[in-house]
Amino acid sequence: MANSDRRASGRRTNKMILSRTLFLMIVCGVVAFLLLIVQLFSIQILQHDKYEQMAVEQQTRETTVSATRGSIMDRNGNILAQNATAYNIYISPAEIVKYEEDVNLIARELSRILEVSETSVLEKAKDVNSWYKTIKTKVEPDVADEVRELISKHKLLGVRIENDTKRYYPYGSLACHIIGFVGTDGYGLEGIEAKYNEYLEGTDGSIARLAAADGTDILYTNYEDYYDAVDGSDLNLTIDVTVQHIAEKYLEQAIADYDVQDGGCCIVMNVNTGEILAMASYDNYDLNNYLAVSDETQAKIDAMENEEERAEALREAQLAQWRNMAISDTYEPGSVFKIITMAMALEEGTASLGSSYYCPGSMRVLGRTSELNCWKTSGHDTQSLTEAAMHSCNIAFVNIGLGVGAERFYDYIDAFGLFEPTGIDLSGEESSVWWTEDIFYDKNNLSQLAAASFGQTFNITPIQMITAVAAACNGGYLLEPYVVSSITNGDGQSVYSKDRTVVRQVVSEETSKIVSQVLNHVVCDSGGTGKNAYVAGYSIGGKTGTSEKVAQDAAGGAKEYMVSFCGIAPTENPEIAVLVILDNPSNETGIYVSGGVMAAPVVGNIFSEILPYMDIEAEYTEEEAKYIDVTMPKLKGETVADAVIKLEELGLKVTVVGDGTEVTDQLPINNAEVAAGTTVIIYTEGSKETGEVTVPNIHNMTVSEARRELAEVGLYLDTSGASPTNTSVVVSSQSVEAGSTVEYGTVIEATLADNSNLGRY
Amino acid sequence: MAQSRTHNQIRQKKLKDYRGSNDGRGSIDLPFLILTIIILVMGVIMVLSASYARAYNDPDKTPVFYFLKHAGFAVSGLVLMFMASRLNTRFYRGISIYVLLAAIFLLVLVPFIGIEENGARRWINILGLTTFQPSEAAKLAVIMGFAAMICSFKEKMQTFKYGVLPFAGVLVVIVGLLLLEPHLSASIIIIAIGAIMMFVGGTKIRWFVAVGITVALAGAIIVGKMGYAMDRIQSWRDPFSDLTGNGWQIVQSLYAVGSGGFMGLGLGQGRQKFLYLPEEHNDFIFAVICEELGFVGAVLILILFALLVIRGFWIALHAKNRYSSLLATGISSLLAIQVFLNVAVVTNFIPCTGISLPFFSYGGTALWIQLVEMGMVLSVSREIPVKNSREKLKKSTKELNNVGKEVE
Repeated sequence: MANSDRRASGRRTNKMILSRTLFLMIVCGVVAFLLLIVQLFSIQILQHDKYEQMAVEQQTRETTVSATRGSIMDRNGNILAQNATAYNIYISPAEIVKYEEDVNLIARELSRILEVSETSVLEKAKDVNSWYKTIKTKVEPDVADEVRELISKHKLLGVRIENDTKRYYPYGSLACHIIGFVGTDGYGLEGIEAKYNEYLEGTDGSIARLAAADGTDILYTNYEDYYDAVDGSDLNLTIDVTVQHIAEKYLEQAIADYDVQDGGCCIVMNVNTGEILAMASYDNYDLNNYLAVSDETQAKIDAMENEEERAEALREAQLAQWRNMAISDTYEPGSVFKIITMAMALEEGTASLGSSYYCPGSMRVLGRTSELNCWKTSGHDTQSLTEAAMHSCNIAFVNIGLGVGAERFYDYIDAFGLFEPTGIDLSGEESSVWWTEDIFYDKNNLSQLAAASFGQTFNITPIQMITAVAAACNGGYLLEPYVVSSITNGDGQSVYSKDRTVVRQVVSEETSKIVSQVLNHVVCDSGGTGKNAYVAGYSIGGKTGTSEKVAQDAAGGAKEYMVSFCGIAPTENPEIAVLVILDNPSNETGIYVSGGVMAAPVVGNIFSEILPYMDIEAEYTEEEAKYIDVTMPKLKGETVADAVIKLEELGLKVTVVGDGTEVTDQLPINNAEVAAGTTVIIYTEGSKETGEVTVPNIHNMTVSEARRELAEVGLYLDTSGASPTNTSVVVSSQSVEAGSTVEYGTVIEATLADNSNLGRY
Repeated sequence: MAQSRTHNQIRQKKLKDYRGSNDGRGSIDLPFLILTIIILVMGVIMVLSASYARAYNDPDKTPVFYFLKHAGFAVSGLVLMFMASRLNTRFYRGISIYVLLAAIFLLVLVPFIGIEENGARRWINILGLTTFQPSEAAKLAVIMGFAAMICSFKEKMQTFKYGVLPFAGVLVVIVGLLLLEPHLSASIIIIAIGAIMMFVGGTKIRWFVAVGITVALAGAIIVGKMGYAMDRIQSWRDPFSDLTGNGWQIVQSLYAVGSGGFMGLGLGQGRQKFLYLPEEHNDFIFAVICEELGFVGAVLILILFALLVIRGFWIALHAKNRYSSLLATGISSLLAIQVFLNVAVVTNFIPCTGISLPFFSYGGTALWIQLVEMGMVLSVSREIPVKNSREKLKKSTKELNNVGKEVE
């Protein structure tokens, strides 16, 4: 019984085990796996795209292949801006810790090599989770080499060098405002670098590849996506480095000589094409270190107490030095504008060479409460059109302007492009400021028209002024000035080129010819106000300008002036225009503040160098030939007869000392420049006298007086500047100061000027 | 002559098969053996693919380092499996309790001589030859020990005193020791396998309900107290919330699984194993499978596992006695639990915990134990009594006669 019970119970148990095992079999063998398959389906099929994208994002490394920024070259291919290799130095604090490197040694050495503070390195090294802490960027290759040595000497893994590029400007500050600079992110910030950034920067390429988590390549997969970097294009400018250098040299010299307070600018333009050959503004700055301000300014900033003030002052000084005055500032052109007034009157036939104008020194203008004065209050009496220009007579030009009439005048201003920016391809061109039409057209108030006729009560940019003058002289064509003549891409293909772009013809060729002629008289005639721009051998034309800075005057301060001169050459067939503007020359230098005294000589000096450089031949009049500079040949060893013939051919007078037949010595020495007509000495026995002599003061002497004075002590004279043929021309400065001692026989250079007829013209 | 001898030999052999061998043992179960070998070979191949990148990046190892070691353990493991299959179940039943005690003894040793790794002490060194996880042996020991206990208690299994108390006592000791290491995943598996043995053994369902509720509560408290477990739950719910910590490996696993798609990137073409995926030739090898072989390959492998599990249960259902049946059930269930938990972790179905995938995950002694377990199931299969032998004999005789005709 018990046995059968047990057996029955055993069977029951067996049955239960069987059913429970079957249950388990279904759970473990089917249900569990179905759940997993459903889950897999969800991830692998339904969410496949999402995870694949995330995985690929994680697994691919994109390496940027940086494009090389294009170079900037002047018209002759001289490189003005170029990329050069530089290096960034960084540390990996994580690895310094990992490899137990001596952080103090690293800090000390990097501080020494990179001229950074030791504590700053230590501070950066504290961030031990970081793999990348920049210590210094864009260091020169030789500095990087030193770091490399340090790394290999101490087998450092925590100090790294990475390649970078640095924008390099071989000419330093030359043409800084045209070229501009590039920010740390490689984006052009000023000048051409900014304006043509899209051409210059190129397109970075990239390599996308599969990588393991540690950044190394994944084995046996060949997935790689490569986008070539497209290097930036090269820019060819219209700028000529030599011309630019000349312009900057004389501008800087003028700013120093006249103690000009608010800077200045100079533009040299090809009047027939609109090409800008040079454009200089002052203050300037070093493109390779564009954040640095002049020592003087820095000293002023350092003297400030407040940190914020210092930062603000530095920022302002930087913005000021980056400002391209030639296009970004407007000014009141003053009498230079008379060129435009004259051109429109000639074109309209309201004035001609035969017109005559009477200047009593002042006049009444409808709508103006006080009388309008000429700069010469005593008056210019009766004058022809040419004489009015030579005198820069305000009264005459008001009458010329009134003759044109407000509406036509306004139309011409528009036609000469003075309402709109010129469209020069530089960033930061400012717009002009004019009376609105309704005020200008006021029939009952002609004072605006009257003032505008001699260049006052409006503001234009220097580039607008020179472009308008070019239009008045070049046959009447208003051109679009430009500085980039062509762009060549990395494959050498031209992607852009610009030629002469005529905006419109403003005046006729005949009118233009007359304007040039008149301007020639202003410089070359003895009664002209622009005599100081004269260059022997060249037909220079031009117009002076002196304008009061209204704001200062109104504020009750000392009168401040803007002095300027716009010259053209050669006047028979104008090719080059030069505009020089000096903003606020000091009243303290003793030099009379006016465009004729200050700006005209600068333009003259610039012409004197760039015209020969540009292969424009000098043609001397007989009178001029007397004063032409000649270079002393080497005569030693030649026979006296030969030497005398040679010297006389050069236009020199000769004194022979001694009775020998062969030249043993000469005065002045060979290669010295002296004026034609100078008496030189050749020695046939022994050698020239030696010893030192004291330089006499030749200031304000005429050429012949000065030559005599110098000859008395055994010195020679060489001149430049205003034509010595005019009797009113005197020495305005001498190359060696009076009172100093020089070698016997030295040539003293004298700058000539005609300041006999002073006025704010 | 020769033909006739061949004929006779076949007849003799077939007769012997159907009657059962002299000691009552038949031949081993071929489907189970073949499935085991297929899965093992696939495992070895996947270890090669998965470990190649890491070994390649290790200057001290050749790229095939893990592969060769794993293959070596697989071959030697097959020998062990064969040996295990030759021993009979009576022997296993005899040693069961000792195996259980030995396993507990080893677990006691772990806190003293264990090797600490990542803040846990789970491994012991065997004579400097290899390392070994006693918890791995404890799983088998629980199966063997519980099977033996169930067979001894028989009907008393339905009582609390026999059906619950001794088993719970053993589990508390073992799990207590495991939590000392700590080793949460092994504890979970041991509890699960213990419960399954008790369930099959006849413990009343109500105890499971009661214990289930208790365990759930206790578990909630423990999990709440153990910070790292909470983090795991957080990173399970939203692995992308914590990419640097616990979420990282889950995210990497999901990338691998998800980017595999339907067909996969191709064997050996996986990318996630290149140092992105942690434990890529170990706990997360299934992610590499998913990435390289796609949904198709992953499901195929799961089906192979499922077939192996079902065949194991089939053997259990046909086993000659209760012990054999319980042994096969336990081993099959253990296999299913491990595969389920591993794949569920890899696919973020459950919170992340370190559970290896049988036959695939790199690990020598664990593979040996798994193959010994398979050997034990094969041993059980060998002893399956022939049912309806008369019928089969008849049928077979007919066949044999036909064979004879064909031959003649």
